[in-house]
Amino acid sequence: MSASRNRALTPAELDRFGEELDALRARTLATIGERDARYIRRIIAAVRYTEVAARTLLFASALLGGLLVAGQAWAWLFWPAWILGTLLLGGAKILENMELGHNVIHGQYDWMGDPQINGRSYEWDIVATSENWRHTHNFRHHTYTNIRGLDDDIGYGLLRIFPEQKWKPFYLLQPVIAIFFALYFQWGVAIQNLKLGRWWHGKMTGAQLRHKARPVLRKMTRQLLKDYLVFPLLAGPFFLPVLLGNLVANGIRNVWTYVIIFCGHFTADAETFPKECIKNESRGHWYLRQLRGSSNIGGGKWMDVMSGNLSHQIEHHFYPDLPANRYAEMAVEVREICARYGQHYNTGSLPRQFGQVAWRILRHAFPSRARIKAPLVLPEPEPTPEAA
Amino acid sequence: MNARVLPASRRPAGALRRLISPLVAADVFDFWAGRLNRNWTWDRPRARLVAREAAARGAVTLWLRPNRHWAGFRPGQHVNLGVEIGGVRHTRSYSLTEPPRADGLLAITVKAIEAGRVSQYLFGQARAGEVFELGEAFGDLCLPARPEGAWLFLAAGSGITPLMALTRQLAAEGMPVDLDLAYWARTREELCFLGELRALAARHPCFRLHVGLTGEAARDAGERAGRIDADWLDARIPALAGRRVMACGPGGFVDTARQLLDGRVADFRAEAFSPAPRAVEDSGEVEIHLTRSGRRLHVPRGQSLLVALEDAGLKPASGCRMGICNTCACGKAAGSTRHLPSGALAHEPTQALKLCVNSAVTELELDL
Repeated sequence: MSASRNRALTPAELDRFGEELDALRARTLATIGERDARYIRRIIAAVRYTEVAARTLLFASALLGGLLVAGQAWAWLFWPAWILGTLLLGGAKILENMELGHNVIHGQYDWMGDPQINGRSYEWDIVATSENWRHTHNFRHHTYTNIRGLDDDIGYGLLRIFPEQKWKPFYLLQPVIAIFFALYFQWGVAIQNLKLGRWWHGKMTGAQLRHKARPVLRKMTRQLLKDYLVFPLLAGPFFLPVLLGNLVANGIRNVWTYVIIFCGHFTADAETFPKECIKNESRGHWYLRQLRGSSNIGGGKWMDVMSGNLSHQIEHHFYPDLPANRYAEMAVEVREICARYGQHYNTGSLPRQFGQVAWRILRHAFPSRARIKAPLVLPEPEPTPEAA
Repeated sequence: MNARVLPASRRPAGALRRLISPLVAADVFDFWAGRLNRNWTWDRPRARLVAREAAARGAVTLWLRPNRHWAGFRPGQHVNLGVEIGGVRHTRSYSLTEPPRADGLLAITVKAIEAGRVSQYLFGQARAGEVFELGEAFGDLCLPARPEGAWLFLAAGSGITPLMALTRQLAAEGMPVDLDLAYWARTREELCFLGELRALAARHPCFRLHVGLTGEAARDAGERAGRIDADWLDARIPALAGRRVMACGPGGFVDTARQLLDGRVADFRAEAFSPAPRAVEDSGEVEIHLTRSGRRLHVPRGQSLLVALEDAGLKPASGCRMGICNTCACGKAAGSTRHLPSGALAHEPTQALKLCVNSAVTELELDL
C-alpha cells in the first residue's frame, strides 16, 4: 500500500516541497498567454463543429430510418449514420463538459477577460447546474480533497470506497448501485448539493429543499426539453432515432465522466484523511494531501483532451486555476519534484486505474478494516539540549 | 476617460427575438455568426475597425462600425473598447470624437502612450477589419439641449477628444454660443485636429482657438507657451467670470483648472484620466466603492480584501480562502490590487478578482 511507497517528510522538507511546487506555479503563470487562449478557442470550435456534425448525422439517420421502413435498398446507411452521429454527440458532450466546461468553471481562463468563458457565469451542457458544481467541486472537493466528512465526492454518499467509511449492510448492493450510478452520473452530480440525505433524516425542511431544488429543476427541464423534445421534434415523424441517439450520447458521456472521475481519487493507492489534518495546514501539507489523494491516467494527448486533462488529476489538484492545457508539460517537473521528496506519483493506464477502482467498489461492499497508515509528516524534531 | 467596465447594453427585444430566445444560447449563436462576420452577435455590442487616419504625431483616429446592439451615444461621452492582445482582452475607455453621424460610424482618437499596451497596439498594429468589444456609452460631459451663453473648453493632451466632439456638435448647429477652446500639448506636432479647428475658427467668428505649448515656443497666431495658470487665462480669455467651463485632461491639469476657475465662473465641469499609479503604497487605508450595493468603506492596504470586507461586517461569498476555488472572485472596474502570495500588482480592470488573496493598493471599484 501507499504508506510504504512514500517517505514521511519533516516539516522543513514539507515547506521546501511546497515552495518548489509554488515556484513551478509562478514560472508557468508567467508564460500564460496567447497560446492558451488559442487552445481554448480551438476546443470551443471543436465542440461546436462536432455537435453540429453529430446532430446532422442523427437527422440524416432519421430520414434514412423512414426509408428503411419503406423498404428502400440503400437505407442500410441508417445504421452507420446513427452510430456515428451518436458517438460524435457523446464525444461533443464529453469535450464540452470536461475540457471546456469543467476547466472554464474553475476560472482557468478568466484572465482572458472573455465573458463567454468566465468561470462564474459559464453554464454547461449537463443537467447539473454549474452553480452547484462551483460549490461542491471547486470549493468543497478541491479544498478538502479526500477529507472524510468534508469532501462529499468520497463515494458521493452512495458508495463505500474506503475502509475508513463505516460499513452498513446497504453497501452489499453497491456493485449493482455503482453501475446505475455510472449510467445516470449526470443526475447524481445534479442532486449532489441538494443533500437529500439531510432532508430524509429530518435535518432540512421540505421548504428548504424546494428552495434549493428550484434552479436545479429548471436546468433539468431545459436539458430534457432540448435533447428529448426540441431536437427530436425537428426530425418530425422520424423523431425516434434522434431521441434515442441523444439518450445514448448522454449515456456515453455519463459513463465516461464517471470512469475518469473515479480514477482520479479512488485508485488503490489513493488515501483519505481525517478532519484533524487540516488544522493550521501548511501550504506544503496541502500539496502533499492533494498528491496522496489523487491519481493520474496515462495515455497521451487524446486521453488528455477527452478527459478534460483530468488524466493529470495530480497537477489539476495542485493548480486547479491554471489552464489545463499546461498540465502535461508541468507534469514532467511535478513528477521530478515528487521523486526527489520520495513521494509516490500515482499514474497508470486507464484499464489498470479503473481496475483498481472496480476492485475497491467490490471489496468495500463487504466489511473491511483500514490498515494503520504512516503519518504524512514526521513530528517536529526534539530541540537538542544546548551544549552548556 | 477613466477605465470603467459597464454592463453590455440591451435593447428591448422584438417579438421574434423574444419567441426564439429561450432556444438560443448566445455563445453558440455568436460562434456560428462569427464564422461569417465577427461583428454579428446575439446581443453583444461590437464594432469593426473600418479605417484609420493619422491625427497628429503619435496619434491615430480610428473609424469604427458598430453592430446593431450598439445603443448610441451623446457627444462628449466615452465608450469602453475591448481589445484582444496576446489572448487577453484589455478594456480601455475612449471618447468619441465625432457627434452621431448619419452613416453610424464612430470615431475615436488614440494617442500612443509610452508603455501603454492598448494605445500602442491601436496606434501601431490594429488593422482595418479587426473587431472590438464595445461597451455602453457613458459619461456626462455633455451639452444641454439648447446651449446658450459663453463657453470655455479647456483641453490638455488627449483631453481634446470629448471636447472635439462637443465643438463639432456646436459647429454643426451653426455655433449658437460664444466659444473659446484652449488646447494644450507639449509640441505643435502633437496637436490633433489642428487644421479642422483653425478652419472652424475662420468660419465661425464666435469660435476662437487658443493653443498652449508646454514644450515649445509660441510661433503662430493664437499660440502661447506655458502651462495653464492665471496669467495664461487672463492673457487669452476675455470675460472669464460669465463662462460655462468644461475641462478635460490629466489629473494635474484638471486640478489646476478647478483651483483657478471653480466658483469664479458660471459653471465648471471636468473629467480627468486616471492612469496607473506610479508610487505604490501598502500601508494605511484606502476607500473601496462597492458598486452593486452602493456602499463605500475604508479598508487597510496590504490586507486580504476578503478579510477586510468581513471585518467591515460584510459577508461576500467565499470558500477555500487560499485562492483556488474562485468562489469569492468578483469584478473590479477600477483600481490597483496586489496578489498577496506573489506580490504581483494588477492595474487592469478584471472580471474575476479573487478577494481572498488580493489586497487593495489604490481606491477600488468592486462589483459587490
